[in-house]
Amino acid sequence: MRKQTRDEAIWRFLGYTFVLLVTLLMVVPIYWIIVASTLPEQAFLSAGTDIQLFPGSNFFANLEALQARESVDFIQSIWNSVFIAIVYTLLSLVLCSMGGFAFAKYEFRFKEPIFYAILATLTLPIQLLVIPLFLLISQMGLTNSYWAIILPWAANPLGIFLMRQNMKQIPDALLESARIDGATEFQLYYRIALPTMKSSLAALAIVLFLFQWNLFLFPLVVLNQGKYTIPVAINELVGAQRVYYDQIMVAAALSIIPLFLVFLFLQRHFVSGILAGSVKE
Amino acid sequence: MSTSSSNPVRDKLTAVRERAKQAVTPIWRAFIDAVRPARQAQIRATRSVGARLPFSVSAPYLFLAPFFILFSSFLAFPILYTLYLSFHTYQGIGNATLFWIDLGPIQFELTRIAQLEYVGLQNYQRLLGDALFQNALANTTFILLVQVPLMIVLGLALALALNASWMRFKGLFRTTIALPVAANLVAYATVFLLLLQDNGLVNTVFQMLGLPTVPWLSGGTALIPGPLKSVLGTGFWPRISLVGAVTWRWTGYNMIILLAGLQSIPQQLYEAAEIDGASRWEKFRYVTLPQLRPVLLFVVVTSTIGTFRLFSEPLIISEGGAPLSATRTLVVYIYNIAFQQFQLGYASAMTVVLVGIVAVLSIVQLRIGGESDA
Repeated sequence: MRKQTRDEAIWRFLGYTFVLLVTLLMVVPIYWIIVASTLPEQAFLSAGTDIQLFPGSNFFANLEALQARESVDFIQSIWNSVFIAIVYTLLSLVLCSMGGFAFAKYEFRFKEPIFYAILATLTLPIQLLVIPLFLLISQMGLTNSYWAIILPWAANPLGIFLMRQNMKQIPDALLESARIDGATEFQLYYRIALPTMKSSLAALAIVLFLFQWNLFLFPLVVLNQGKYTIPVAINELVGAQRVYYDQIMVAAALSIIPLFLVFLFLQRHFVSGILAGSVKE
Repeated sequence: MSTSSSNPVRDKLTAVRERAKQAVTPIWRAFIDAVRPARQAQIRATRSVGARLPFSVSAPYLFLAPFFILFSSFLAFPILYTLYLSFHTYQGIGNATLFWIDLGPIQFELTRIAQLEYVGLQNYQRLLGDALFQNALANTTFILLVQVPLMIVLGLALALALNASWMRFKGLFRTTIALPVAANLVAYATVFLLLLQDNGLVNTVFQMLGLPTVPWLSGGTALIPGPLKSVLGTGFWPRISLVGAVTWRWTGYNMIILLAGLQSIPQQLYEAAEIDGASRWEKFRYVTLPQLRPVLLFVVVTSTIGTFRLFSEPLIISEGGAPLSATRTLVVYIYNIAFQQFQLGYASAMTVVLVGIVAVLSIVQLRIGGESDA
């Protein structure tokens, strides 16, 4: 008995040490972004052993310098990113949940081949589609519009996969009884499938939002000044002559906030929602 | 039916309905007649016990249509176009600039697609003798072999610790560890670039602790044990930096998925194991691991795919001074070929090969993960 409790104590100690250490490692770069955003450039850049570790008072000066840049309107680009990510997420949720419902709850011709073809595209590095996609987008006259980066991945293969896995759990009997009560097929989707899938939808929403938020190469190709998203705007600060680290740090610090909000709102659902998609049955 | 005449509104409605019936063209009429028995059979079938036929034949197609239209135009078409390009050679002539990109080491300008010439398998043959391609493949393999196991073991250990009954502040730890996922791609790569400079924060802290400094980005064979120097070479530290950055970003994400998997394991299994006198290790080996297999598989496959997609991180870190040949991933190399040298056909062939590799790896992983199913 006594040995067991000592054993337990050692495990607890190791567990806490490990978790705390990792947490520290995860926090340091983020802390560093925030500290650096409040310092003048020379205080955090190549300072050797005199490196400053605590926040200073230069945040607004850095922000002003950032806003004074003519090539990028950073506040505008935050708005662009937020708008695009929200519209994209909503549109993709609708498309994926409808498609997932069809795959999970109906039999139809070529169902399996179509599904596996969609699944197979998950293995594709999307950066490699930039050339044909750009040609397509410009043919459609959509360059430098929000739609140029909303539409191409709205039909998200991962999304339809997760939705199919989750919607399989809806009992057929529930749908049958609703049918006998006279519900149309669309009502089955809208009134039964969607409400029971809330947490999966929230999890998928996080994944989709993150995906769009971090898209870099394609927005860089199809968007022009004024429509820039955050990654493109930050990249713009990495100029050819000189890298403006102080402004980059302010931009990075500001760009964390919207995502942090999304996380706080949806995190509760994230675990349960992701789970259903990753586990068979 | 005297009531029908007493209500002029209803009379009018009936008249309109009659007229509408007559207006239906004969073909449409025939179609409705033909479909009706099938539809009624369906209704009967769904109402009988145990039947699971769809109620309406068209419903699944209607549900799938919006997804499928976007999918085929924006994903399937570009993929097929890439395949088509891989059997061609592309000559860029003309001067109409289609687009122009400034990405540090990669600056390109894509002009009008002018000439496509069919060359058969030539692009694929060329690939076999391309030393740079093999170098990029080796880099990607190195990163894959180090990063994926590291990230998954780390994620699993964190998930186990945060699932323990005695652990406090679970929510706080979970959110903090998952936070890096929220960091913007370009921003976090830039921060790592700063932290890992020769006189950056990491080396500064190392100095304070009395540890030797490491050439994280600048490369070199410092601190590599003698016999391994020639094997690992000067690119070792930049590659490790890349692995570190990617691991930092995605470990928390994998941890959350694994945590979800752990929480779905029925508690009775552990209770039963305890009654049988199973040790901590035995419980992990015979209950946790088998139960967690599908989730682990999901994490392994998605991480592998993620590694093959690496693009922005190696670019930005290389910009910080790391030798490009050490951190050049396949996607970066394909981009070099496509946009610096305008060899779209050759780049497409490499894309096809890359997708093939990823697909084969995923299938192998799924097979191994599925086969050992008890």
